[in-house]
Amino acid sequence: MSEAPVTEQEYELDTSWMSTMGEWGMRAEPGKRGLTLEDIRIGSYGELPDISDNMSGHPRGAAQRPDAYRVGGYGVRTLAEIWLDNATFLYEEALQRQWSSATDIPWETVEPLPDEVEEAECLLCTFFNEVEFVAGDVPARWIAQTTPDYLEPRHVLLAQVMDEARHMDVFRKRALANGGGLMRMSGATSGFVGSIDLARDFTEMSTRLHISGEGAVLTMFRMGELFGQNEAEKRMYRLCAQDEARHVAFGVMHLRYLNEACPERREEIHAYLDEAEAQIMAGLQNPAGTQAETSEALAILLGGSKSQYDEGHKKLLVIRRRQLKEYMQRVKTAGFGDRFENGRSTIPAQHAAAY
Amino acid sequence: MMQVFPSHAWFQAVREVYNGDASLHSGGGGACDTTAGLKVGDDGYLMVFEGLECADIRPAGEDEMSEADFIIEMPLALWKEMVANVQENGKADLDHTLNSIDLQQEESIAYSPADDQYRQDLFYRYNQNFQDFFDASSRVETIFDQA
Amino acid sequence: MADEKSGAAAGAATVPAAVAGAAAAAGGTVVEGRPEPSFEWMGLTNQWGVRVKPGEHGLRLGDLNVGIYGEVPEVWDDQTRRPRGALPRPGIPPLPYNLRAKHQMWADCAADLYEEAIQRRWIPATDVPWATLQPLPEAVERALCQVCTEIMQYANTEIEIITYWQDQMSYGYYEVKQYLAAATFDCARHIEVLRKRALANGGGLGLESKGAVNRMILESRGGWTESVVYLYLLRGTFVMQLLRNLLSSAHNDAERVIWSHMIEDHARHLTYGYDHLKYAVTHQEGEASVLQTLLTIGEAMMGAELKDGVLRSAMAIILGGGLEGGRTVGMESYLHLVGDYLRDYLALCDWLGVPRADQLNPSLSKYLEY
Repeated sequence: MSEAPVTEQEYELDTSWMSTMGEWGMRAEPGKRGLTLEDIRIGSYGELPDISDNMSGHPRGAAQRPDAYRVGGYGVRTLAEIWLDNATFLYEEALQRQWSSATDIPWETVEPLPDEVEEAECLLCTFFNEVEFVAGDVPARWIAQTTPDYLEPRHVLLAQVMDEARHMDVFRKRALANGGGLMRMSGATSGFVGSIDLARDFTEMSTRLHISGEGAVLTMFRMGELFGQNEAEKRMYRLCAQDEARHVAFGVMHLRYLNEACPERREEIHAYLDEAEAQIMAGLQNPAGTQAETSEALAILLGGSKSQYDEGHKKLLVIRRRQLKEYMQRVKTAGFGDRFENGRSTIPAQHAAAY
Repeated sequence: MMQVFPSHAWFQAVREVYNGDASLHSGGGGACDTTAGLKVGDDGYLMVFEGLECADIRPAGEDEMSEADFIIEMPLALWKEMVANVQENGKADLDHTLNSIDLQQEESIAYSPADDQYRQDLFYRYNQNFQDFFDASSRVETIFDQA
Repeated sequence: MADEKSGAAAGAATVPAAVAGAAAAAGGTVVEGRPEPSFEWMGLTNQWGVRVKPGEHGLRLGDLNVGIYGEVPEVWDDQTRRPRGALPRPGIPPLPYNLRAKHQMWADCAADLYEEAIQRRWIPATDVPWATLQPLPEAVERALCQVCTEIMQYANTEIEIITYWQDQMSYGYYEVKQYLAAATFDCARHIEVLRKRALANGGGLGLESKGAVNRMILESRGGWTESVVYLYLLRGTFVMQLLRNLLSSAHNDAERVIWSHMIEDHARHLTYGYDHLKYAVTHQEGEASVLQTLLTIGEAMMGAELKDGVLRSAMAIILGGGLEGGRTVGMESYLHLVGDYLRDYLALCDWLGVPRADQLNPSLSKYLEY
């Protein structure tokens, strides 16, 4: 910035806008958690339109101009299709609980491992690196399509995209930190019908991504603390699990809201859950599933070696049981537990068979 | 001063250590809000986290415990093993972190008394804070209740 | 370890299990129990034996670019989610990663900026000393709230255009994708903090932006580079001047923390933007001419937007300390701010190899006298 010259010239000042601003006199007060997004949901600024007609991308509550350009065309424009009651809470939590893969993981504790164990770990890291690509790309696409009137859930998704970037980076770091390397891609995250990134409805996407996909991955991350060979790995998996649990929470709470707000969509949501259970919970995307090569890697890691594969596989079955049980609990919490009671879902049978 | 584990005094001592030293709050922790129940043998404790602090930890009966977001329940011997491990190593070793212990059991050590998975998942969301809390107990001279 | 060739040969025999899953969904048989492991994935790697050690700043993203993992090709043909350096797998359907050339998004600084963004993160709820806000003269409060509203809308535009392109960017250049994830998170923070400021001191939100430049940014469909030209070179350079002047006019510690943190974040965004444009111009023949065309159009839009009385008056009031000051020293300072923006802009264009001084739109060149 250079020095502005001093002048006595008088300029015209347009102050007409001062009488056409949004609701005035707002005085949001910080609480115990500082000044949160929840604290500023006051007056008309806290009112959420059931349907958004914000076509100019303005902040919710801003006064509108008659000559503003329409830039919107937002696909997600109804409250029910994206809202969740604790969005502000999850966003603020995400901000508070960010971490750095560069400096918060004690990389110096990584020590050489037997080749087969290192390979298994690297395969898993390659897989997680790949899986997190989906979890980063897909919410991003939906953010661009969501009206800024629903800034709170949008912000949670923006935090998720950041979290996933961090996960991508930490798994790549682990794969390259201990004498290993990246392995073969899984292909599990590719686009085909029923996959996460081809969803054409936000709730459909969230059901597949947050509840099925990330729910399964959450269990995997937690398992990482069981098979982690050093403090770096344990911490890496633990911190990733924290983030993942927050993403899962988004999915559960959104589905719960939708269930209450739009009961007429229940059958549709059940159809998405049918698909997700058949594909994500069962297939390649789930290392604890029965058909994934990553499940072989997990069994080696859980057993401690290839020769202890059977032992590791037994532990994997315990993981799968937990995974299935927690999935059922989450779907139940979201209000769709009837599918496990009326025979629609095969998950209860799979859970029982896993003993 | 030596504290007996398990006891209210022990948990209070750990709470003071945890709250008093920001270096014990490791990266990846951060502010959290939750009320957790701890079932340690016959004793129950309610542990309240608010923001960056463990705001309270107090003995609690069944009624209060039923209001917790989630309860961590382990056999007393396992609690003692975990705390002893922290005493010996300065923090939980690889097999004695809360998550590791949880995953070594057939069933989870954490559950929601309201059968609400969203609230049970708070154990996962805030896991680092709980781990930091129990790791902080390395600074509390501990003797074990012989019962 | 097996080389790529053998890995590819082994992979050719593998049908992705997701297809088998789909068959199961259609009523096929799923075999439970312990499948016999094949371990056929073992030994399948492009390069083994990599051991990257943490440096004095920890283990950073840029540190991972060793051996083949550091080979960033000029074109990344892979339309799958294959991590760079991982072995491919035949039979995987492509995804619409339409941006697959390095010059379409690359910046050498992306990995470093990503790590810097994480290290320099801040939390508006608790890092801003909100208690230091004090009532301001009505006109100044209105002006500040108006400016907050305007910049919020800019940040929203930035989020929308980045997220529009983000999932079209291939993973060959994952450093850029990761950095942009951090950039959109910064923008979320900016919207959050500006909204909080506007609602925390007796004010409210202002009038929405007319949005000419917002629309131009959002309508840039020719490629991410085009969006960067408008978002960062043309408009972002202006926003930096706004933020710096707002900082110098801050009324309290809360505002000082807000503006100074936003400046840091925004500086990173600009660094990426300028670095990318430089890369594009030096690595893609004809790109400089394309940028000339884009800037000819863009400058006219920017000039039209700067004529709008709302932002200019609001800034003048802030810089002048009120209505009276706004009419004199405030407006003069604002015009000087715009002059500084254009001087920076022209210098950047020269540096990029896209000189604009002789062609600067008259609606903008008039500000150079300030």
